[in-house]
Amino acid sequence: MSVLKFSFVLLMLLVFASQCYVSVTIAQVSESEASSALTTAEGAVDSAYQAVLRAEEAGANVSGLLVQLNDAGEFLAEARMAYKAGDFGGAVHFADLSRGIGEEVMNEARELKDLTTTESMQRMWFTMTGSILGVACIVFGSFFSWRFFKRRYFNGGFGAEAGGYA
Amino acid sequence: MNLEEFRMVFATGSLVLMLIVAAPTLSLIVPFSSGSEHFSEFWVLGPNHMAEGYPFNVRVNESNSVFVGVGNHLGSSAYYLVYVKFRNQTQPLPSATVSEPSPLPTLYEYQVFVADGGTWEAPLTFRVLEASRNDDCMLINLFSINDVVFVVNSSAIWDLECKGFYYQLFIELWLYNTTSQSFHFHNRFVGIWLNMTAT
Repeated sequence: MSVLKFSFVLLMLLVFASQCYVSVTIAQVSESEASSALTTAEGAVDSAYQAVLRAEEAGANVSGLLVQLNDAGEFLAEARMAYKAGDFGGAVHFADLSRGIGEEVMNEARELKDLTTTESMQRMWFTMTGSILGVACIVFGSFFSWRFFKRRYFNGGFGAEAGGYA
Repeated sequence: MNLEEFRMVFATGSLVLMLIVAAPTLSLIVPFSSGSEHFSEFWVLGPNHMAEGYPFNVRVNESNSVFVGVGNHLGSSAYYLVYVKFRNQTQPLPSATVSEPSPLPTLYEYQVFVADGGTWEAPLTFRVLEASRNDDCMLINLFSINDVVFVVNSSAIWDLECKGFYYQLFIELWLYNTTSQSFHFHNRFVGIWLNMTAT
């Protein structure tokens, strides 16, 4: 009987200990998950910002993307504060929201940059062609105008003496 | 005017016309710097959006608010971190001379993206939730910023000269550096003094 009682107590102790172990393990996993989610979200937002900067350098209007990035930043700040307060569930939730927006912004920024670069190239070729044609017209125009002017000058059209120029 | 002079006028006129026509293409090739100074603005305003009426005498459970703002004149969109910290008179402030942030822990933070030439502003509402006084010592235990509660456990000794228990709520500006891919203290901070008057 005493062996049975001892076994029961031992079993109860084991059940209690396993619950403690499991709860501690879950808490640790949650913290590491939260930390990992935060790192991923930070990386996504950083990459999104850099993509937006590249789009801006290419000449794109990025004001809409900045509004979205501000939403991502707000969620990321919430995630960091939740993590510091030990609310790992909240941290993961906000970090995931932030990461989602960050990835979306990054894709949009890349598309915008490509579109703007293509448009800039087209505009540049148009401008260069226009300039080259314009300069060529001026060169030819000047040349023929000068010839016409010189002929008039020697014919005395400007009141000059025809023999005045050797 | 002889023909040689006419030729000079013609050549100069043609050259000027050519430069005018080629200017759009030249502007694509030759980089023109704007020459303007790059900097960030950072401010804290009172509850009426003015540089006056800042909260000073604070009580437990009394809500106080200010506005924090950032202006970007860095020549491109910028990524800022705004850290809100709390200290008593003896705890360190950021050092502007060596560009070091305060080592005190961050309570609240804003993470903001501001377009070049743009500004950002947000309300900052704070409240002392729990404080206790023991003769000439005040201890603030709980402090909330924008309804997020923080354990601060910050004590202040009675200031004989200024007659009060003084604390400071200060805000640091950090800037994301794309080269190092990390945030750096932007050497700017603002703050308001608080006198904990009654528990």
